[in-house]
This record gives sequence, structure tokens and C-alpha cells, in this order.
Amino acid sequence: MITATESAGPPEPFVHPALFYGDAEEYLAGTVPFVRAALADGAPVAVAVPGENLRLIQDALGADGDAVRFTDMREAGRNPGRIIPGVLRAFTDAQPPGRRVHIVGEPVWADRSPAEYPACAQHEALINAAFRGREVTILCPYDTARLEARALADAHATHPLVILAGAGAGAGAQRGSESYDPDEVVARYNEPLPPAPDDGAGVFTTAFEADSLSAVRHLATEHGARLGLAGPGLENLALITAELTTNSVVHGGGTGGLTVWGEGGYVVCEVRDKGRLADPLAGRQPASRDQRGGRGLLLVNLVADLVRMHTGAAGTTVRCYVGC
Amino acid sequence: MSEPEVVRPRRPAGAVPAPAVPWLSVHPLTARAGFRAVGEVTLPTHRIWERALEDAVRDRGDVYFVELSALSFVDVAGAEVLADAARRFGERRLVLDRPPAALPRVLGLLWPGLPAIEVAAS
Repeated sequence: MITATESAGPPEPFVHPALFYGDAEEYLAGTVPFVRAALADGAPVAVAVPGENLRLIQDALGADGDAVRFTDMREAGRNPGRIIPGVLRAFTDAQPPGRRVHIVGEPVWADRSPAEYPACAQHEALINAAFRGREVTILCPYDTARLEARALADAHATHPLVILAGAGAGAGAQRGSESYDPDEVVARYNEPLPPAPDDGAGVFTTAFEADSLSAVRHLATEHGARLGLAGPGLENLALITAELTTNSVVHGGGTGGLTVWGEGGYVVCEVRDKGRLADPLAGRQPASRDQRGGRGLLLVNLVADLVRMHTGAAGTTVRCYVGC
Repeated sequence: MSEPEVVRPRRPAGAVPAPAVPWLSVHPLTARAGFRAVGEVTLPTHRIWERALEDAVRDRGDVYFVELSALSFVDVAGAEVLADAARRFGERRLVLDRPPAALPRVLGLLWPGLPAIEVAAS
């Protein structure tokens, strides 16, 4: 049973351990008892992990899995910025109060691309702030056999608790992480993005201001269509362009720059302005029912396949990938 | 078969496109309670959209139709005005007639479970 570590003052109700596993046997030994214990308590349980690991857990649980919400993280969590609002909070907020919610969440896997990984690490770090004070446990498996050393080291910094699933003394035991420092991870991966292409076939780039928002959305969308987007993907590009450029005009200094290009099966839309994004959780939390405004970045996270951001004193760059 | 041609607009970086004024016009329906909106709902046209939906909320009929087949785009702030109006409809029905495809999707993503809006496809 996983509990919060002892500390001065009331214990933090949110519990966020990383589970380090080396093979399928260790994976099941680390996750299935966690799920079964929660089910035995009548607690709500969700499992959001890559499809191949989802099937392992489903097979091991058998009929007991009927009470578990299963989600393929490769689909639902393709954009790491979507996982908190679209997967985790979507489940926890729908549960009746008074029961600790249990989730197995695996957002980092070996074939995450180099463009995706920094967003994954920031997501894992920001979970701690997003769930602070909530009666929730999120167990995050990490594949020690296939993940890079950097991802495993980062997991120690983004999780206050760590569990080694391997055999031997101490296996399965939970201990505090000695290198827990989520703010440092958020800051470290707030890194300048590789420059957007500024010339060449298939690149559309422009400046914009309030009077040109509509024209820029039309031009960006037409360019997305030329690059192969259609249907909902093209609608998503229009929404992303509208929300990001409008944000720049309203909050980011009134003007900005936009570039749209194709890259590895995606249409990439980047918007730059002189504003600074103060809240790293912006666009990652579901809006309350009565909240006025502030949903633009949330929608961008929900519809894009990947969102990368860099923000600082010189301005903010938001880069979104939409799959063709 | 040749590759599809990709045309790159020749526009120097930093040049601002000539303003294309976005517009929105609202016309009352004649055969039933409601309005037809033509144009787009974005930052410059939010106020017109808000006023039209304020009128919809004040209407006292059982059903109110918003005909959107000639509306090309609604941004998130425009969808929020609609969600807000729908909540104030209470037991009355708000029917979106042929909205842009993305609008019901945006409403479902950002206001899940909003009960009052119906979507008519034809």
C-alpha cells in the first residue's frame, strides 16, 4: 500500500511515485497489486499506459478489470500537455468525493521522439503542482531496460517517491527520492526550440497584428491544406492558429510572428510574441464551469499532437504539431 | 504520378498581410424563432455574436434556432458565449442548425455535458 512520506505538518494527500521496472514480470508485480488493492477498497482506478502494457495489465486482471478505466496513453497522451486535463483530471474530477483515486499513468516510453521528450518531462514535473492537495495517487512506470539514462534520472527529479520493482533486497519498497526537484525540470526543459525554417519550399511565414488575425488564419489554413491536412486536422490547425495569434494580440504585446511548415508527417504551426507565460500550468488544467476566458491554450493542448513551448524575458514561442 | 505541388507564398518575413476585415452579420429567421449568422466569430466580431445570443436568451419561446451554415469559423471565446447562453436557457431548447464542423467538437471538449445545445445537421 502506498502512503505519503512522513513530514512536518499535515501530510500531502497527493502521492506520486515512479515505478522502475526492467521487464514484463516486474511491470506486473509493480502495477497489478496496486490496482487490486485499490479495487478491494472500492476506490476508483484508471490505467493509462501504452497499448502493449495496457494489454499486459488487462490480461493479468481478467474479469477484475471490468471496474477499471483503461486508456491507451499512446493515443490519449500523444501530446503530453493534454494528459493532465484530458486523461488524469478528466478521470479524477468525475469521481465522487471521499474516495482516494488511483491511477497508473505511463507517459514516457522508449520511442517518444526527441521533440516529444522535453514536453513529457515537464508534464511529469507539473503533475505535482496540478494535483497538490488532492486525494489522488498516480503511479508512473518507467522502463529501465529501454529508456535513456536521462529519462530515468529525470524521473527521480519529477517524482517525490520511487519504487524499484526488480528482485533483491528492497525490491518493491517505496522510498523518498533524493533528487526530487520538479521546478528545476520545468525550468531546464524550458529550452529554446530549434529555429523554425525561415525559407525553402513549403514554408509560410508572416508577421501579424490585430487587423490581420483573420487573414493570417486563412493563409495558415490554406498552407496547411497544401501540406496535406484535411478534415478535423485542418480544422485543428485553424483553431490553433486563431487561439495562439489572438493570445499574442491580447496578451503578448499586440503583434507576433507565425510560421507553418511540414515536418515528418506533421504540419507544424509556430507562433512567437513578446509576452511571457508566467504560469507553467497554463492550458494544462480543465477550466472551472464558470471561468470566463482562459480556455484557448487548453483547447490547443487538447487538439494538437504535440505542443512545445519556450518562454522567457525575450518572449514566448509556442510550436504545435498536427498529424497529417 | 507527380508529387503534389507545394506553393510557398512569397512573403518576406516580417511583412504583415494586408488587413482582410472579418465580418459577421446576423439576420432574424422569418419562419421560426432564431437568427442566421453569416461570416466568422473571432476577436473583432465577438460583440455582435454576444448581442445576438443575449437576444436569444431573452426570447421566451420554447425553441430557438441558430442557423450557422454560412458561418465559416468560431473561436474558443465565441464558443464560450454560446455555452454561456445555453446554460441560461434553462428548460428551453437551443438548436444549432448546420454549424461549422469544429464547433460541436470544441463545445464537447471544453464544456462536456453541456445539456442545452442540440445540433441539427440539416
